Order: sequence, then C-alpha cells, then structure tokens
Amino acid sequence: MRIDATHRKWLIASLIILGVSTFVYIAYAASSPAGPSGGSATGLTFGIVGFAFMIFAGLLAGRKKVAIWRLGRAQTWLRGHLWLGLLSLPMIFFHAGFQFGGVLTRVLMILLITVVASGLFGAALQHYMPRMMTSEVPMETIFEQIDHVRDQLVTEADALVDGVCGATQTEQVALSGGGAIALATPAPAAVLPLRDFYTRQLRPFLLHDHRRHQTLAARADSARLFEGLRTVLPSDAHDATRKLEEICEEERQLRRQVRMHHWQHGWLLLHVPLSLALLLLGCVHAIMALRY
Amino acid sequence: MSAGLMIDLTVDGKKVSVPAGTSVFDAARLNNIEIPTLCHQQNEKPIGVCRVCVVDVGARVFTASCVRPAEQGMVVSTNSEKVKQARRTLVELLMTDHVSPCARERQSGDCELEALAKQDNLARSRFAPQATRRGVDDSSMSIGVDFDACILCDRCIRGCDEIRENFVLGRMGKGETTRIAFDNNLPMGESSCVSCGECMVSCPTGALTNKVINQTAIAAPGSEPVSLQELNELPFFEGVSGTFLSLNRNAVVRRRFKRGDVICREGEYGSTAFYILDGEARVSIASPIAHVKTKGAVKRFLGKLSSRLTQRQNDVRDDETGQHWIHIDAPMDLSYENPVATLKAGDLFGEMTCMSLYPRSATVRAESDCTVLELLRNVLDIMQRNKNFRAQLDRSYRQRALDSHLRAVPIFAGLTDEFIEGLREKVELLRFSPGQVICRQGDHADSFFLVRIGFVKVSQTHLGGDMVLAYLSRGDYFGETGLLKGDVRTATCSALDHVEVVRISAADFAEMNRQFPEVRHQLELVDRERTQMNRERLTALSSTPLDSFLKQGLMEAQSLLLLDLDSCTRCDACVRACADAHDGVTRLVREGLRFDHYLVATSCRQCLDPLCMVGCPVGSIRRRNSLEVIIEDWCIGCGLCADNCPYGNINMHPFDVFADVPGSPGQKKAMVKQKATSCDLCSEFAEPSCVYACPHDAAHRVNPRQFFAGLLQQSSDKSPKD
Ligand code: HEM
Ligand code: HEM
Ligand code: SF4
Ligand code: SF4
Ligand code: FES
Repeated sequence: MRIDATHRKWLIASLIILGVSTFVYIAYAASSPAGPSGGSATGLTFGIVGFAFMIFAGLLAGRKKVAIWRLGRAQTWLRGHLWLGLLSLPMIFFHAGFQFGGVLTRVLMILLITVVASGLFGAALQHYMPRMMTSEVPMETIFEQIDHVRDQLVTEADALVDGVCGATQTEQVALSGGGAIALATPAPAAVLPLRDFYTRQLRPFLLHDHRRHQTLAARADSARLFEGLRTVLPSDAHDATRKLEEICEEERQLRRQVRMHHWQHGWLLLHVPLSLALLLLGCVHAIMALRY
Repeated sequence: MSAGLMIDLTVDGKKVSVPAGTSVFDAARLNNIEIPTLCHQQNEKPIGVCRVCVVDVGARVFTASCVRPAEQGMVVSTNSEKVKQARRTLVELLMTDHVSPCARERQSGDCELEALAKQDNLARSRFAPQATRRGVDDSSMSIGVDFDACILCDRCIRGCDEIRENFVLGRMGKGETTRIAFDNNLPMGESSCVSCGECMVSCPTGALTNKVINQTAIAAPGSEPVSLQELNELPFFEGVSGTFLSLNRNAVVRRRFKRGDVICREGEYGSTAFYILDGEARVSIASPIAHVKTKGAVKRFLGKLSSRLTQRQNDVRDDETGQHWIHIDAPMDLSYENPVATLKAGDLFGEMTCMSLYPRSATVRAESDCTVLELLRNVLDIMQRNKNFRAQLDRSYRQRALDSHLRAVPIFAGLTDEFIEGLREKVELLRFSPGQVICRQGDHADSFFLVRIGFVKVSQTHLGGDMVLAYLSRGDYFGETGLLKGDVRTATCSALDHVEVVRISAADFAEMNRQFPEVRHQLELVDRERTQMNRERLTALSSTPLDSFLKQGLMEAQSLLLLDLDSCTRCDACVRACADAHDGVTRLVREGLRFDHYLVATSCRQCLDPLCMVGCPVGSIRRRNSLEVIIEDWCIGCGLCADNCPYGNINMHPFDVFADVPGSPGQKKAMVKQKATSCDLCSEFAEPSCVYACPHDAAHRVNPRQFFAGLLQQSSDKSPKD
C-alpha cells in the first residue's frame, strides 16, 4: 500500500495515541517506586492494549479469506494493520518498562521486534515496488502466465529465424520456376550469422539454459550484440532482427517481473509465520504471567 | 449465303469441301486438322481477339481462322514454320498479361494458355511482364476472380450474355487497365450475378475459377449424395451451368431424419444451411429463458453472494426489452413465452450460420420423418442468386413472414391486417454482401429498412473520423430518421456480413405514419432518443483532446475499473473477490490496456464499436439505453460474444439445469448450460467487490471523464490551439 496523504488521519491518530501513552507512561513510571512493571495495573493495561493491536493486525489474514463479506473495506483493514501494528511496539515497551524479562518474554520481545521490522520492510516494498514494476516492466503479464508467454516467445523467435534463414531457400526454388519477379532475397550464406547467433545465444537465453553464458541478460550487452549482428546481416534481415531484439527485451522484462514478484511477496514468508508465533506465545505469556 | 452451296479449298495440302459461310477454322476442324484457339469456343460466336488461331491464307498478312470465312480456292497453311513462329510470338505476348502459374494451372494444371506456352517451350516470356497489376476480386462466394490471369478473350462475357442471357459481364477501361467488369464495375459478389457459373466454365485461364472451398464435402452421418440430374431438376438450380453445378456437387447432400431426430442444435458451430424437401420440423430454444443474477443478503453482516438463474417474471431488470419475439436464423421468429415453431417443406433455415459461420440460433428437430438438403455456402449462394428461388423466397416471405416480422417489432405491433395486406406486394427484399453500403450519410432518404438476416453497421462520419452508432440485427430497423425529417440520411448503414433487408418505400412509410399516429409517435420517440444519444457521444468526443484516451475507447465509458499500477501490488485480491462474488467465475482479469499509470481492467466499457454484439445468433446481447450491455434472458450460451469482446469483458457462466436429453424427446436430465455474463458492478452492494477487497487502495470504479478531467485538461492546454 502506498504511504501517501491518504494516511494523514491515521498518522495523526497514531501520534495522539503514542503521545498520550508516553505521557501516561512517564507519569506512571515516575510514580511507581519499584519502577514500571508488566504486572501493575497500568503495565497490564499497556500489555492488553498492545496485544489487542496485534490481534487486530493478525485478523487481517482472516479478513482476506472472506474478501466479499462486508466487514469493512480491505484497505481500511490494512491501514489499521500498519498503524496499530506499529503502535503495538511502543505499547509493549511501556508494558514491560523497557525490560526484556525472562526467557519467554525475551523470545516474545525479539519476535515482536522482528515482526514489526519485517512489516515495515514489507510496507516499504509495497510503497516502492509497484511503481518500479510499472515503469521497468511495461510488458508485464499475469504472473501465472509467464511460463506460457515464454513458450510463445520461443515459438515466435523460431518462426522469425526460420523465416529469414530457412524458408527463404525453398521460396527461391519456387521463384525460379515462375521467374520474373526480382525479389532481393538474402543469400543463405549472408544470413548464417543470424542462425548461429540464435542457436548459440538467443535460444539458450530464452530457454533458460544456464550452462551457457547469458550475455543477453544485460540490456547494454544485448544492444551491443544486436548492433553488431545487424552490421553483418543484409538489410532484409534487419526487420526480423529487430523483432528478435524485442523478444529478447520481453524475456528480460519477464525475468525482472519474476524477481520483483518474489521480493514483493516473499517477505511475507517471514512476517506471517513469525506473527503467528508471536500471537501464540503472547497468549502463553499472558496466561502464565497472570496465573503465577 | 445460301444453304447447300459448297466451296472447295486446300488446308495443309488436303483438299476439303465445306458449306459456304464456314470459317477457315471450322473447315479445318471438320477435316480433323487442329488449329489452336483461345478466345474461340464452339458454343460461342467467334470474335477473333486473341489471334492464336493464325493461319496463312496466302494474303499479305496472316489471318485469324476463327473469324475468317473460307473462300473458294483458298490455300490455307496452319502449320508452316512462319505460322508457328507467329503463333509463338502471340502466345508469348499473351503470357506477359497472365500471371503464371495461374490459379487454374495450380488447381488442375489445365490453363489453356499455359498449355500452349508449354507446347512452345515458352515457360517464360521474353517480354517484360505488364507493369500495372489489375488485382483480384474475392467477393463472390463460389467464383474467384484474378484479373491478372485474364487475357481478355471475352469468352466469359459471351457466356454470360449470349448463352445465359444474364448480361452481367462486360469490359471496362482502356489499354493496359482494361478488364472484365460485373455490372457497372461492381465487385462480383455485389453484382447482379446469379452464380450460374457459365463464365467460370467458359474461361480458358485461371482468371475465373471455382473457389477451393467448394472442394470441401459435407461429412454428416447418413448423408447421401445428390445426383447431378436431381439437382438440375430442382427449380432453384435452373439455368445453372451443369459443369459448374457438378463442380459444386459435394457441397450439397440429402439427409433423412426420423421423427424426433435433432437436425441441428443451438449454440453449435456449423457451416451449412438446410432446405426442407418434405416433412416438418420443430424449431425451439432449449436453453432456460433466464438471466444470471447475483444475490446476497446485504443487510446481514455476514451475507454471502451466490449467482442464480433468474427468470424475467421474478426479476425485471432496467431496460429489459419489451419485445415479445426472439429472432432466430429461420424464416420466422419465436414467441418469448413459448419459443417453438414449425418449419415446412420449402423452408430454408440456418442461412446465417452457413453464410457467416455464426453459431446455430435454435434447435431443430424432425417433427415427422423428413428429408432435407444440407448445403454449404457456395451452393446456398448459387441457390439464393437464382431467379426462381428468389421469387419463391420472396413469395413465402411476403405471405408468411412479413406479418410476424413486422409485428415482432414492438413499435409496429399495432399495425392492422389490412395495412400489412397492402404492404405485402409492395415491400422489396434486398440482399447485400459484406461491406456493401445500404444507404449513405448525406444521401436523400427514400426508404425505410427492416433487417431480416445479418448485421448492419450504422456509422456516422464526422471530423474526428467514423463512429459506430450501432449494430442492428434481425428485427431492428433503420432509415426512419431521414424520412421523418424529410431530409437526408444521417448515418451510413452498411452490411457487416450477408445481409437481407426488407425495404419499405418512403411513400408507404408516410402512409403508415398517416394511418397510425401511434406508430409515428413511437418512431419519433425512438428517433429522438437515438439522436440525443448520438449527440451526447459526439460532444463527449469533441471535448477530449487526448488521442490515446480516445483510441482506447475510454471516452465512451461511463464507468471504468481502474487499477492504479503505482500502488497495486499485483496481489490478485480483486480477482479472487470477483470470483468469490460470482460462484467462482471471475468477471475480472487483471490485464488489459494501460492508460497513464492505470490498468483499465475488464468489465464492460461500452465501446465505440461494440464488437460483442456482432454475431449473437439470437440477438440477445444489446445496449441498454444507458449504453451498458444487457444480456437478455434468451441467451443460448454459445459464447460468441465472449470471444468477440476484445477486452474479455464477457464471461461464460455454467449452471446445472434440468433439460431435454438430446435425441430422446420428453426425457430430462441434469446438465450444464452456460449463460453469458458481464460485470454487474456487484449491484447488490454499495461498492463492487473488487474495489472493496483491494487492500492497497489501488482499485477504483470511476467515471473516466471526471477522473481524468485534470489530465485531459492539461493535455488540451498543451495542444496547440487552432
Ligand atoms: C506479546 C506481547 C507481550 C510481550 C512482548 C510482553 C512482554 C513482557 C515482558 C518483557 C515482561 C517482563 C517485564 C519485566 O521483567 O519487568 C512482561 C511482564 C508481564 N506481562 Fe507481558 N508481554 C506481552 C503481553 C502481555 C499480556 C497480553 C498480558 C496480560 C494480559 C501480560 C501480562 C504480563 C504480566 C502480568 C507481567 C508481569 C509478570 C512478571 O513480571 O513476571 N503481558 N511482559
Ligand atoms: C505486530 C503485529 C503484526 C502481526 C500479528 C501481523 C500479521 C500479519 C499477517 C498475518 C499478515 C498476512 C496477511 C495475509 O494473509 O496476507 C500480515 C501482512 C502484512 N503486514 Fe503485518 N503484522 C503485524 C505488524 C505489521 C506491521 C507493524 C507492519 C508494517 C508497518 C505490517 C505490515 C504488513 C503488510 C504490508 C502486510 C501485507 C498485507 C498485504 O499485502 O495484503 N504488519 N501481517
Ligand atoms: S448473448 Fe453471447 S452467449 Fe448468449 S447467445 Fe448471444 S452471443 Fe451467445
Ligand atoms: S486487489 Fe488491489 S493490489 Fe491486489 S491486484 Fe487487485 S488492484 Fe492490485
Ligand atoms: S481463337 Fe481465333 S482469334 Fe482467338
């Protein structure tokens, strides 16, 4: 979600909550002779509020499972998730009086910090990545269809190369029967470099054959290669070469899309399981701390 | 010349005697001396244009033997070296006017000119090929025309005019650009050609050939071939060249059906039409007459949505049609309440499927044992161009279909029997081929049209280019605007595929309006509505400078689903929500055109050119007055509209229904039928589910003109004022 002016209300509300809690915390810390503690009334309240924020944040997963239930707009939920999830951190710090306590609470604190940190990282990704994707991968397609699109690219490229190097020869035979039309078809010898380039470089690149060096993966190198190729090919073959270059560009963009897609959605693999552990252990700690 | 008078001459050293008036060519032929010919054939009057039949009669110059009468004491040499040399040169010159190998040489290897060239070892001409290309004409269903292969021998022209007396063919142009022409140089398919095939049979080269599609045979189970003689005896093949008919014989078969057999099924693709020889058949629509409605309890907190088939009685949608008839691809319409009718001997059905390859519009089942002819396009075309058949078709239309056709149009429902009786003999049935203009914007308005078969494109030309106002299909009418105003045509109407219209003259139209003020009133209302709508669109068009905005048709849209690509994380929550809201069938695909940093996602865009509406075999998809698409209840689920929509905004939604078992009438079982659906904006809710479910504030349903107002303003400020 992009963090923009539409977040102003949430920002202000969060700052107020934070300000009030800080004020309460300072007053409370100063007034309790033994120092702040999770077990005091105020400390417990901070703990409960902070945990409530976390539970709300965790409910986002459930909310997304039932997207069409009219439980409030998904974006409202996410905004709440971001801001309240973030607020849960100071709340718990206030709860624990900036102590890490025993083993369980220490684990809990580390979990919380990691979840919030990963959440912030993810939020940052979601803020920047879409724009990068839009501008750098104009040929973007639906992620699930990338493999299919790639297959099509190979087929298309094969046809292009055959059109220049293969089929031309047979066409010439046919022509010599009918005779009179003087089509300047490139002699097969002149287009050999294209076939060569295709089988050695382009096709392996399109097929992800990693045994070969992937010079074409870099845009600048690729441009240089194609430029060089055009200087040796007859002008009739330039059109096909340009199309091959476009195919090559599309393949690069698809690779980029895959990479960006993995970043964009991969961080959740950290964020989600840890947040689940956090919520479970949080319950354990709460029960244990209250019972003993 | 008097009969019986004989003359004597010598041909290649042989003394021969022939009746006076015989040509030198015939004199030789009668005595088994062969002289090559091209422009001359035995059943036509010789005209001597190609001069391939040169002979030496001892005169100063060689002469064309086909036109030169034999004379007493003439000494003819057909074979001397000099004559051969002259013939070679002539053939060689003709070859420069002829693409080689021509279609005929490729098809059957018997182009007469190329055969001569081969005899003379003239595979290639020494002369430069003719520079101007004369082109091809692919408009006829059964005959291909390649002007570049034509050597202007006039055999086709004589075949058409002298033998068949159809007077369609002639010559046009001068010098290098001379070519044969149909009527006043119309494309063959649009001309008055009756498809008798005589020209094609006459042509010595590949300039006129039988189209290759005609080699396809119908391979339906149990089909029997029809003999040439039987075909010739059918009244609607009268006057068709026997050779031509036999070339096309594979494209017609006889099929016998037992009572209850299905002849064709709605929604299926096909390429044939049927003509009932004897017996009766029942035509009906088996799909449930209902539309897809997405229901959900909005009030309840945890309401879940589901889509159901809903009948009109239970749920009337805005702008649903008031018509009582469903238009199908047969000589009659079906009643909305009870979509069943009977077809009799002499009825032709499935023309649209056959001519334009649309899906079948209805299911036809043999009512009694019956025999039908199943025809492919080329034969149907031959048949429909036939004068007898047209007359029969006309007659049966006037007598049986005109009433129901007129009455099926709600506006005309009130016409009296007497009035229709009066119209019966006055209306005209006209046929148009794809692309042909029926009436042109700016022309004087002289008639009113009802569409009988096919799709008519109504478009208007203005400064910005052409805009398609509508696609009209069976049951629609046009031409009223100009007539009501007593003025010129306000739009151009052209045939999109094979179209047949009923033409009502201005006088009859005026008479109708005089007698039936209510009809006039209704027509005026519709006219006002149409004009208003067009005006709105035009102002919308002219007020937007942004080129690509226009090109993408965004201007047309009242509401677009935009995904802001700068915040969309491609999480697909929107797509999943849409699927959830519609029984797992998403109506939203996260791909499409981009405008600025927005992805214009699917859902009906109310295009300038609503391509989805072209081809619906039953005309059940149309525009609401709000321009949005409505799919009427009688959709048969063929899926053509979904294929045709360039943006994938129409989806097929399968349902389990209880329906007739194919082949065994009366029996029912559960099966899957589909219905076309398009985005319904989750109209049960305040907000579409996709927008509601997007966590990233990236999905928006907007009115594009308002939404992009700022952007459009900017670009108009930048664009130079003129
Ligand atoms: C998941 C979020 C939570 C974290 C990370 C957390 C962390 C901590 C820490 C570090 C301490 C030790 C403070 C110290 O040593 O002075 C503590 C104490 C305590 N916490 Fe929590 N806490 C959480 C949630 C809760 C909740 C939800 C409750 C009760 C409803 C609770 C009740 C207590 C109590 C009663 C103590 C005092 C007992 C003790 O000092 O051993 N905590 N908490
Ligand atoms: C502290 C308690 C938190 C918990 C328990 C938590 C839990 C979760 C869970 C379970 C999800 C997965 C939702 C899904 O199914 O897609 C999620 C997603 C996410 N979380 Fe958190 N989270 C917490 C804090 C944060 C914080 C502090 C941030 C950032 C400031 C954050 C940012 C995100 C983002 C951006 C997503 C992805 C949402 C989407 O793409 O739909 N989270 N979180
Ligand atoms: S609305 Fe679409 S699916 Fe239904 S009959 Fe018409 S073209 Fe076929
Ligand atoms: S739900 Fe929103 S963020 Fe996700 S794919 Fe759809 S528009 Fe993009
Ligand atoms: S055959 Fe005699 S001039 Fe053509």
